[in-house]
Amino acid sequence: MGSLYSEYRTWLHGLRAGSKLFGLVAAGLALFIFQSLWVLGAGAVLCAGVLASLGPATQPARRLLWAVLVAALLVAGFHVWMGSWQLGVASALRLFCASSLGVALTVTTRTGDLVAVLEWLLQPLRPLGVNPERLSLQLGLMLRFTEHFFIQWGKLDDAYRLRTGRGGGWRLVAPLAVHMLQTARRVADALFVRLGG
Amino acid sequence: MTTLTRSSAQSLSTVALFAALMAVLGLVPKIDLPFGVPITLQSLGIMLAGCLLGGKRGLQSMALFLLAVAVGLPLLAGGRGGIGVFLLPSAGYLVGYALAAGVVGLLMGRLPAGSPKQAAVSALIAAVLGGVLFLHLLGIAGLMLIAQMPLAKAVMLDLAFVPGDLVKAVLCALVVHTVAKALPDWPLGGKSA
Repeated sequence: MGSLYSEYRTWLHGLRAGSKLFGLVAAGLALFIFQSLWVLGAGAVLCAGVLASLGPATQPARRLLWAVLVAALLVAGFHVWMGSWQLGVASALRLFCASSLGVALTVTTRTGDLVAVLEWLLQPLRPLGVNPERLSLQLGLMLRFTEHFFIQWGKLDDAYRLRTGRGGGWRLVAPLAVHMLQTARRVADALFVRLGG
Repeated sequence: MTTLTRSSAQSLSTVALFAALMAVLGLVPKIDLPFGVPITLQSLGIMLAGCLLGGKRGLQSMALFLLAVAVGLPLLAGGRGGIGVFLLPSAGYLVGYALAAGVVGLLMGRLPAGSPKQAAVSALIAAVLGGVLFLHLLGIAGLMLIAQMPLAKAVMLDLAFVPGDLVKAVLCALVVHTVAKALPDWPLGGKSA
């Protein structure tokens, strides 16, 4: 299973993950401070330009971009219907800007780099019991088991189809959950053996 | 990394595994209900995380899942992911995933679960209150904040998704019933053994 990161190299790939994340947050704040349709419109043109400059790199996120466009149009249409077209246009422009910058970040930044930034950002939460180093381990574990359980779901579905001739659908959730809980215990034991003290 | 205690190894693995369950529920195709309406199963994952892991671990597993989505993994139903999804009008529901799992777990921990039947009823109550009511309140707040919808319209839009989620609450109760029978020593709602 891959991430939405694109291997097609663009100018944004060279920037550090932390800088891009900071830029996204700053842009997000600016979007909500400025009310003028002209400013927001100019911002939208800028964001569209950024996306266009990435070329084929946006390929993995095409679906998401489409969802953003539809959401922006629906929001605008809704407000126009309610009689406040300025609000509709402003909302749609903000939505487009924020989401397209988010996509630009996602397709040009490696998952590992973003995780490293997040680990650094989470450091202040240590007193609350958050352990940032465990993050990478947990993410890795989560991904490994997503693949494993997806395969497990497929096996349960095949077995159900053989018995009944139909797909299992929601009936597979319970046996999968039981299997997962049993696996969780075995994995915990394995982790404790390797990393325990 | 500091060494793990047995209980932290247990919590680390169950949190990661339930985050994985959310991902799997997003990856499997839409399920067709008996009357032909397709629903995604992903919000079922929230209810299960709360009921089976308790408030704290349930919240952590959903937070881990959201983190994975935020760093660019396409784990939301429909193959969506990346930070961009947190800027869409549906972001209220996303953030609500973690908080709702916490509420479901909190409720499940306080409700009786002495027998599989009791556990199922408690799970249904917890899932409806936390996984449907609370989650949808947060979703509506998100619609109002991000899409700047007035309350009445946001509620109307939200109501379309309530029937599907109520069905999932029933499914959650059925799963908890099965788990209670298959693994009688599993601490439902995160209750200490």
